[in-house]
Amino acid sequence: MLQFDAGILSNRTIAPDWKELILRWNPGAGRPEPGHFLTLRPGRGSDPLLRRPFAIASYDAGRGEGPSVSIIYQIRGSGTRLLADLGPGATVDVLGPLGKPFPLPTAGESPILAAGGVGLGPVLYLARRLEELRTAASAAAVPGAAQASDGSTSQAPAPFVIGFRSAVLVPDLPFPPGLVLCTDDGSTGFRGTPVDWIAHNASSGATRIYACGPSPMLAAIARLASGRGWKASLSAEQWMACGVGACMGCVLPRPAAAGGASQGFLRACADGPVFELGDIDWEKA
Amino acid sequence: MKPDLSVRIGPLVLPNPVGTASGTFGYGSEYEELMDVDALGAIYTKAVTPEPRPGNPVPRIVETPSGMLNSIGLANPGIGAFVREKLPELRRRRCAVIVNVAGSSEADYLEVIERIEEAAGSWNAAAADEAGKAGEGRSGVDGYEINVSCPNVAHGGLSFGTDPVQVERLTAALRRATKRALIVKLTPNVADIGAIAKAAEAGGADAVSCINTLVGMVIDVRRKRPFLARGTGGLSGPAVRPVGVACTFKAARAVSIPVIGLGGIMCAEDALQYLLAGAVAVQVGTGTFVDPRIPLDTLRGIEAWMEAEGVARVGDIAGLLATQA
Repeated sequence: MLQFDAGILSNRTIAPDWKELILRWNPGAGRPEPGHFLTLRPGRGSDPLLRRPFAIASYDAGRGEGPSVSIIYQIRGSGTRLLADLGPGATVDVLGPLGKPFPLPTAGESPILAAGGVGLGPVLYLARRLEELRTAASAAAVPGAAQASDGSTSQAPAPFVIGFRSAVLVPDLPFPPGLVLCTDDGSTGFRGTPVDWIAHNASSGATRIYACGPSPMLAAIARLASGRGWKASLSAEQWMACGVGACMGCVLPRPAAAGGASQGFLRACADGPVFELGDIDWEKA
Repeated sequence: MKPDLSVRIGPLVLPNPVGTASGTFGYGSEYEELMDVDALGAIYTKAVTPEPRPGNPVPRIVETPSGMLNSIGLANPGIGAFVREKLPELRRRRCAVIVNVAGSSEADYLEVIERIEEAAGSWNAAAADEAGKAGEGRSGVDGYEINVSCPNVAHGGLSFGTDPVQVERLTAALRRATKRALIVKLTPNVADIGAIAKAAEAGGADAVSCINTLVGMVIDVRRKRPFLARGTGGLSGPAVRPVGVACTFKAARAVSIPVIGLGGIMCAEDALQYLLAGAVAVQVGTGTFVDPRIPLDTLRGIEAWMEAEGVARVGDIAGLLATQA
């Protein structure tokens, strides 16, 4: 992790009250992976005070001008309002990459990606990364062969299932293939939630679900994955103060031990934000 | 001439006056990649209790105007895990290490100190003089900060710190258990902080630190319930700075032992308010969350100010305050 002042390259509206911020990335911080997050200080004063955490939504190695990353955010408080007013040329105090990233699917695992609302960023970055790997594997594969070099099947893009309340809220972003749009009101795509779609459409077999979204969504995914014997890597979105494991403010409850005794908490920032199935009691998160 | 930044706290000499406040800095290693931890005057660890404590239910934190409210609940792995896992890494520190101690009863505080004395060995002034130099031979613990002021637990904490009789009795009991520097951390949630500071001094404390957080509450009007799971929490950050400076001013005039000031320090000028009010050292807490560069920027700023003002020693700063009669 590194703290640095990052130049803003763009900060554009992608849906009502939603923006995508593209920042120059300091190569000394290392390449962020899908699931990593950063914190940034939206202003220079004391109100709002705390840094804001955002999952990284893309990474571009850049040509000549150096790497950049993007985050996707919803304007919903004093910090994000300040952030929304920053334009190209401004700089912002960034700390990252933070947390533990998503584990990539192992040979033979079929990934399904799911995101709801503000959980879009990290899952979008993972979808983009898996698509890069799939394309590279397809190009390298002997024509007619179905196996990539790591043993995974490389033919169909992973389902990337994202949910919004309504069509008007679907962000204007370049999505990778495999996209399944879900809306609560059915105004576009599948009518229902990403969890509904996965429950109806996913085939059985060795599956790993990757997801980020509100706690009720992650709880539903955890129930679905446990019921079907799938693996799941779930990324939490939590309030946090430090982002580096010191303040203990962003914790999530572990499942109770046999007999109901509490097993305490894990920190979203340093132990996560990506957790495997069984690490967290999402029903109580 | 370079000013002398060292500060004496009882038997301990801190290499400089800037430390990081308990509960905001873990055990030091959390910030290792972001700053030169050993350049600090001291780190004050997360509170240690006899038993492991998972801490309070979530949500535990919420931002407030120029501040934050927390109700962590002294989450820590307990004295056994502290001695096994944290002490070895603290021995490698070159800055002073002050262990923050908490409990629900006098016996709890004693147990933590006795277990650390047993594991770290008795106080060795010669090795302690090496603070700021090599890590060789360091015991890992240079002093204790007694937390009698946590607002976020049901037993102990604040209920000790608001009663001068209990503060004196507890301090005296802990004084008998250690020759290391003993600092009592005071709460601002009292009518007369000077009376509590005097009780700590009478019990044998080497210093007092002030302030711990102020009790506060934020209510989520839409859901008609407190934002924090436990209801109330402790307020910190720039919002509490004037309270901290006033408490430091009062405590410094009530006692002759050193006062360590904290509450809302975001820069050297904020720290200098505390030093002018009578503190000999300061701690940065919430400021480190906001910008991990703040503790060492504060130290550099104090040094630059002393040079510009021609102040030779940190302890001389308090004498510069002009007050109206």
